[in-house]
Amino acid sequence: MSEKPTVEEYLQNIQDGQFKAYKCVNCGMIIAPPSGSCYGCGSNKMEWANVTGKGKLVSFTVIHIAPDAFAEETPYYIAIIELAEGTRVSARLLGYDPLKPEEVKLGSDVKLDYEDGKTGKKYLAFRAA
Amino acid sequence: MPLNNTNIVSAAQTKFGVHKGVTLREMFSEAVDKATVDAGVPKKNIQAAFIGSFIPEMLVHQGHTAPLLMDFAGMKGIPATRHEDACASGATALRAGVMAIESGMYDTVLVAGVEKMTSVSTNKATEALAAAADDQFESSMGLTFPGVFGIAAVAHMQKYGTTEEDMARVAVKAHKNATTNPLAQFQKEISLEKAMTPRYIAWPLKLFDCSPISDGAAALVLTSTEKAKQYTDLPVKITGTGQASASMNLCDRSDLTSFSASVDASRAAYEMAGLEAKDMDFAVVHDCFTIAEIIASEDIGFFKPGEGAKALRDGVTALDGDKPINPMGGLKAVGHPVGATGVKQAVVLYRELIGDAGPNQVSKHDTAIMHNFGGTGATAVVTIMRRADA
Repeated sequence: MSEKPTVEEYLQNIQDGQFKAYKCVNCGMIIAPPSGSCYGCGSNKMEWANVTGKGKLVSFTVIHIAPDAFAEETPYYIAIIELAEGTRVSARLLGYDPLKPEEVKLGSDVKLDYEDGKTGKKYLAFRAA
Repeated sequence: MPLNNTNIVSAAQTKFGVHKGVTLREMFSEAVDKATVDAGVPKKNIQAAFIGSFIPEMLVHQGHTAPLLMDFAGMKGIPATRHEDACASGATALRAGVMAIESGMYDTVLVAGVEKMTSVSTNKATEALAAAADDQFESSMGLTFPGVFGIAAVAHMQKYGTTEEDMARVAVKAHKNATTNPLAQFQKEISLEKAMTPRYIAWPLKLFDCSPISDGAAALVLTSTEKAKQYTDLPVKITGTGQASASMNLCDRSDLTSFSASVDASRAAYEMAGLEAKDMDFAVVHDCFTIAEIIASEDIGFFKPGEGAKALRDGVTALDGDKPINPMGGLKAVGHPVGATGVKQAVVLYRELIGDAGPNQVSKHDTAIMHNFGGTGATAVVTIMRRADA
């Protein structure tokens, strides 16, 4: 995986259940979702990086009213997850009851997973660890 | 150095709401007529136009709107440009107008904003609005706009103890202020209990935490100080303007309890005006969702981070409070025709500053601040104004 990463491949990796992040070749910062330039040093040289899949829950919401494409899936969680590698991603959150959001604790440990949407797409997801 | 040459000499809006059978161009024309000929500013004196409109391509299937709108309003010929920065389109158009006057290129310009949102279904309008978020990395997994602000609300609740009831109080205040604003979409008080009705849109945000889908237009005329005298004895001066950007993605932000673009734009505007938050008599902020008003009241420096909800509970931001916020009803109750909102906010500042706000008049009205932001908060524009004789 040393070729220059692209956004299309990043999205396809999720569809294939093979999430990978970008890594700055210059300073080593892990970046996901993709950016054309490093948040740390500004370099535009990126490579692929595997991640441990470990993360912490930063914040979340439960979507009750959604656009047509997602309406059948409601209610569902969307969360902000901070990966052990330092970068943050938006993802579906699994393993919690969407009707009991009060019980979800920010800072909880979560691990990488995927959700097969009714839209036919696979979503990046994290599950209670 | 504070800006010293940009003056608002007239400002007006249409009623906001559901305007069945009234097209984009007709609403635009109505607002422009009110701000020009009806206010004693001949259209032939306008040298250029800056127009905010978010997404007429999807809402009314019309692009290249600036010349079309100006033609219908009887002003074809002059330079006319549309500005698109999601919900901040109106304020970025205003800022372009300010730069046009300050540069000396023009002495009289029109700034206007318009959106026609109710001619499509609510789902289609929601889809159009979602275009202001990152399609590939966030919207495509089902994150909605209420969801974006739901995530901010959860973070604010966790860090500062803000509650769902606090958010509901923003809606109650907005509706109360709008009861005496005949241009508002909703002119009806709501009880705290009603605002708390558990019809969740994106937990913890409920129906009454969300601004509505609306039609409407707003317009104002900016002139140089020399030209202002021929239209009014009481112009309002724009003394500071700041604009900033931030990541579209929420996940790329280190702090979800504040919007960095709002903080940065505020700092720039205060610095330009040579003033601080304590010098502001009142504020108009972008309350697309109730939590957004609480966060904005902190981001513009009215209150310390985490103290916005307490100020609201204590009545500090009420119409008769020490620091009124959204004295005419905000986006929540007046409506949010996206491209018109930033210009409408300037119309509110103008009317309050010159003492023309009727039952919604704030008691101290020399200097004020307006905060307009776009989409997920990726664009923020902050403008500081002062009545010319203050």
